[in-house]
Amino acid sequence: MDDLVIGMAGSGGDGIVSAGESLIAAAAYEGYHAMMTKSFGSQVRGGESSCRVRLSTRRVHNPGGNLDVAVALNWEDFLKFGAELPVSGTTVVIYEAKTGIAPAAIPLPGVTPRDVFPVPITDMAKQAAGSDKAKNTVVLGLIAGWFGIARESILRGLSKRFASKGAALVQANERAFALGEQFAREHPLSTPRAMDRPPASSGTKLLTDGNDMCAAAAIFGGCTFFGGYPITPSSEVMQFFTGEVWKYGGAALQAEDEMAGIGAALGASFAGKKAMTATSGPGMALKTEIMGLASIAELPLVILDVQRGGPSTGIPTKPEQSDLFMAAFSAHGDVLRPVLAPTSVADTFDVTVEAFNVAERYQTPVIILSDQEVAQRKETVDPIDTSRFVIEERRQPTDVELEDYARFRQTEDGVSPISHPGMRGGNYQGAGIEHNEHGNPTASGKMHAAMNEKRFRKLAPLRRRRELFHIQGNESARLGLVAWGSIAGVCREAMERATAEGLDVKLLVPWLVYPVAEEIYRDFFASVRAGFVVELSHQGQLYRILRMYTEVPRGVTSFCRSGANPIQPGEIVAQLRNAAAALQQPVTSIASED
Amino acid sequence: MNLSSQEKLVPLQAKDFRSDLKPIWCPGCGDFGVLQAIYRALAAVGRPPHEIAFVSGIGCSSRIPGYTTAYGFNSVHGRALPIAQGIKLARPDLLVLVAGGDGDGFSIGGGHVPHAIRRNLDLTYIVMDNQIYGLTKGQLSPTSPRGLKTPTSEYGSLEDPVNPLLYVLAYGAHFVAQGTPADMPGLAEMIEAAIRYPGFSFVNVQSPCVTFGDEQSQVKHHRAIMKSLASVGHDPSDRLAAMGLAQHYGTELHTGVFYRNPTPPPSLDALVIERQKAMAGTGLPKERILDAFLQK
Repeated sequence: MDDLVIGMAGSGGDGIVSAGESLIAAAAYEGYHAMMTKSFGSQVRGGESSCRVRLSTRRVHNPGGNLDVAVALNWEDFLKFGAELPVSGTTVVIYEAKTGIAPAAIPLPGVTPRDVFPVPITDMAKQAAGSDKAKNTVVLGLIAGWFGIARESILRGLSKRFASKGAALVQANERAFALGEQFAREHPLSTPRAMDRPPASSGTKLLTDGNDMCAAAAIFGGCTFFGGYPITPSSEVMQFFTGEVWKYGGAALQAEDEMAGIGAALGASFAGKKAMTATSGPGMALKTEIMGLASIAELPLVILDVQRGGPSTGIPTKPEQSDLFMAAFSAHGDVLRPVLAPTSVADTFDVTVEAFNVAERYQTPVIILSDQEVAQRKETVDPIDTSRFVIEERRQPTDVELEDYARFRQTEDGVSPISHPGMRGGNYQGAGIEHNEHGNPTASGKMHAAMNEKRFRKLAPLRRRRELFHIQGNESARLGLVAWGSIAGVCREAMERATAEGLDVKLLVPWLVYPVAEEIYRDFFASVRAGFVVELSHQGQLYRILRMYTEVPRGVTSFCRSGANPIQPGEIVAQLRNAAAALQQPVTSIASED
Repeated sequence: MNLSSQEKLVPLQAKDFRSDLKPIWCPGCGDFGVLQAIYRALAAVGRPPHEIAFVSGIGCSSRIPGYTTAYGFNSVHGRALPIAQGIKLARPDLLVLVAGGDGDGFSIGGGHVPHAIRRNLDLTYIVMDNQIYGLTKGQLSPTSPRGLKTPTSEYGSLEDPVNPLLYVLAYGAHFVAQGTPADMPGLAEMIEAAIRYPGFSFVNVQSPCVTFGDEQSQVKHHRAIMKSLASVGHDPSDRLAAMGLAQHYGTELHTGVFYRNPTPPPSLDALVIERQKAMAGTGLPKERILDAFLQK
């Protein structure tokens, strides 16, 4: 077996998430590819919590569909996660025997899993450790026992984790783990399902989540200022900065509100430093005015929006891709603001470095549109060679240019050399008011038109940057998928499965989601007769934006649903199968279009 | 303010801070006097214009940075203080001035004032308080007196004004002063003292609106009623006495320094520099920052 998806749920104190953390840390150490997502009820403490861990000997693109293993410390909590923890007939179901429910009576209507094990998890924990706190360690023992995963690394991790609490606790946990393993040995699965070892060439991996990756990438990219306000699910970015940025000669500010957070970041940029802010949908709404100021003042600024369910407070702890309209369009006046979307923890690094480069090169605010899943899931990442990245700096005026300096000078490419306080001769007035080349206020319609044209012109090269788009599959495929953000990972797996089935399909994943790169979509859609733009939102916002700017083939439709309702690779494959079958039909209306 | 980078030995003059831009203000506007006072104060302090960042919000008075030769930032309504704080945190070596009107500071941007005060970055905030919204043609402002008739209070305002002096004193500002263009040299001295004060300093300027302001708020009237705090024997190190006097905002026109903490605490920018020094070199090299995530 080369791929294993484990889902676990319990109540807050059960330690189910820390069991997942132990498992993925051990897997990363051993060289497995792995991914972990956490999901919680809205309570701060207690309440239901769950995690899903996927281990594989191959690269994985998403947290997986149906569970191979389901662990329920109690059924009430497990069931609250619904489609996030889907059980099928081949799922190995492990649950707390104390619940008193017979294996035939487990509350999973519509499925009859072959292997169902009531396990006295609490009793085993008490027996081994004298406390039910070791329940999660028993679960780890069960999983290691049945699936042969990372035994030594899990034990090593446990002993590291509990080392500071004394040898007695380490030993108690080792006993709990051993009891779990023993139970698994004594109750074999109907068919043995041992996990393969990762290939020897697969070295130890990085393990982190998208928020920490974004913050680390920002510091690598030269960011020395962060201003923000706590908001789920982006606060970890500010936490990383407030811990680290001082070491790099920078500063971070937890501001009094979202406007002050972005305001301070914009001030730092005006002062010559690379700066960022981070937020989620409700904060984006509040930051909109200062994003407009950054656009007209032509100041580099990176804004991270970790999308969650909306509108308003919505569902703060679950992913959705419904802020794209806001990221692209929320502004008064004519504004073009690049929007980049990472699709995984790994490429959050590339996208963040790119966001700073675009911001600095074009003197513009840039939005990184992440989502709760990418931002908060943990993922193994192969070590990244940072030497392959070019770090761009804003174009500063030369001494000659400073002799007759005009901050907003009309240049051929629309980018004007930018000075900053402290630079003699570069003195100018930054402003939200329309201005002439020297930065002086104007109400001239002619000047306003010229400046608008400049602010759009400077961004024109961005849409031709093919390396910001990832296309896989046969170039002439008649089936096409487009996906952005975390759903791209689901589509990558759907692509692999569909191709294995013999379907002729290709996939376009844009990092640059706005402005729309018309040429790139036109080329991609040229061969496409049917397909889907796959998104986790009610409206399918990218699909609608593509229709604004490009010719989307009539057979390409939006496949979308509201956030917190995961889309599984299998569903997309089924859609593609149907679409392929429909293309086989001699439908004259489609043929006549050729 | 840190004067260590003062590099010019040739003394700067007020005219070195005057830009070519002609103010949009109405003839007789109080802000002209404030601008003169700022030129004088900056010349006396002696930092060259390119080492000064002058941030404002929106309103008649917020046009002021453009009339100086400093780096200016005429930002958006109410957000001058956050932007200025970002500048100061990023570049503590700069002299940072913030200016705006009473609406900018005590209405739309009111939420930022307490936090700027408690953070105590070394910057100077000058409010040109005219008790009216001039740029939008005369509506009520947060400091308009009760009973004032304006286009949005046809039958007289039913609300009490904010008391800017009491407000900033209550939030713990370490330097609080009030002036009027009716005494421009006095105002210039006060602004100079505020700039030199090491930490957040606040200067409220009663700056008349000649077009929409009432007669009681004009310079001529100021000359008749203004009373220097020194002349009433006020000790500016006495915060409670300052609060007592500040209660007369709106009825009396006290000028001078209400409060000046004689033992100023370290400013935030000084603390940040200290922390940066202490932590320098303790992080992973930037190109190896991802090693922090390596499973060892």
